[in-house]
Amino acid sequence: EDAAEESNISAELIAHRKRLVDEWNAWRKRVKAEVAEERKLLGEKVEPEAEKEAEEKEEIE
Amino acid sequence: MRPILLQGHERSLTQIKFNKEGDLLFSCSKDHVINVWFAHNGERLGTYEGHNGAVWTVDIDSQSRFMVTGSADNTLRLWSVQTGKCLYWWEFPTAVKRVAWSEDDQQVVCITEQRMGHSSAVRIFNIDREGDGTNQSKEPGSMFNPIGSKATLCSFAHVPNLILMGHESGKVALFDAKTGDEVLNNERAHMDVVTDLQLSPDRSYFITSSKDKTARLHETKTLTVLKTYTTETPLNSAAIAPGKPYVLLGGGQDAMSVTTTSARQGKFETRFWHKVFEEEVGRVKGHFGPVNTWILTAVFNSIAISPKGDSYASGGEDGFVRVHHFDESYFRAKPYGDLEIEE
Repeated sequence: EDAAEESNISAELIAHRKRLVDEWNAWRKRVKAEVAEERKLLGEKVEPEAEKEAEEKEEIE
Repeated sequence: MRPILLQGHERSLTQIKFNKEGDLLFSCSKDHVINVWFAHNGERLGTYEGHNGAVWTVDIDSQSRFMVTGSADNTLRLWSVQTGKCLYWWEFPTAVKRVAWSEDDQQVVCITEQRMGHSSAVRIFNIDREGDGTNQSKEPGSMFNPIGSKATLCSFAHVPNLILMGHESGKVALFDAKTGDEVLNNERAHMDVVTDLQLSPDRSYFITSSKDKTARLHETKTLTVLKTYTTETPLNSAAIAPGKPYVLLGGGQDAMSVTTTSARQGKFETRFWHKVFEEEVGRVKGHFGPVNTWILTAVFNSIAISPKGDSYASGGEDGFVRVHHFDESYFRAKPYGDLEIEE
């Protein structure tokens, strides 16, 4: 009986951990994609300005 | 896992940091100096002298070219890592408690202490990386005074122009670097002083430690608490291990309370916790020498993990830095089976 109960607990624990890992991995995937997207958008915003500055500099020289 | 003991500071360590490659370890101390060590053998490579007060904080850029430090002498200093020369310094009305580089090495953020009629200030400097580094502008690119409880920790968040802060009240908050507006906060991230704040490699999440005896993992963008690690001692530092699903927590009681409690109660350890399961997986005792002689006990003020994930270091109240190289069993161990956990 004890052994049966123990194996039950461990099966529950394993299932619980599996669920935690699945949640974590799903969150990581979502956040990685979000951060990549945000950085891409910021990069696009920043680059034209940088190019403009470079052009202005050339004209002065 | 026997530690290498790095002896070279005369007083309590305040912060330790690996460079990006993980081959160099930087330590700063109340003894006014910063030391740099070879991480693999603990040999001292050099000392940076110039501060006239306790050095509270250190950070190294991703190229290991420039180092910034902040001190109780009210200065922020920029150093050449290689030559050991102080290239530039900025002076403020109060002590510099925390410094950090931006991800692109172009900016430095620092926070000064609230004291004697001076409110705490966050300044962001644009660093001129051309030439030898001595040509810096005296004025910050932007500056603001964080509102509410005393702020003590700062870092650049996951996107540019967003500053992540830790406060004495237990609050964590995001501030707009340009306007100084508080963009988002979690007033009850901790119930007591936030003592350390370290980001994941992609800055999308971070760990905090607190005197409230817990460490917590937060999502940077939303400040949502993802995980809580509850211990039985106040924590001074916390770090996220690369390559393994662990977080490292360090702390212990301060020297005053140690004298009034038994050695057994004084727990001076680095604890390894499973990042996802919130379960403790191991402890490393904070002493050095034969196992049965308790030669040194130390409160760990700062913990850092090598970006390579092969070693970690702790800086103690006793003035020693301990470097622990993980042995094979650490890499082999899968205490919870074959579940694949995303970094």
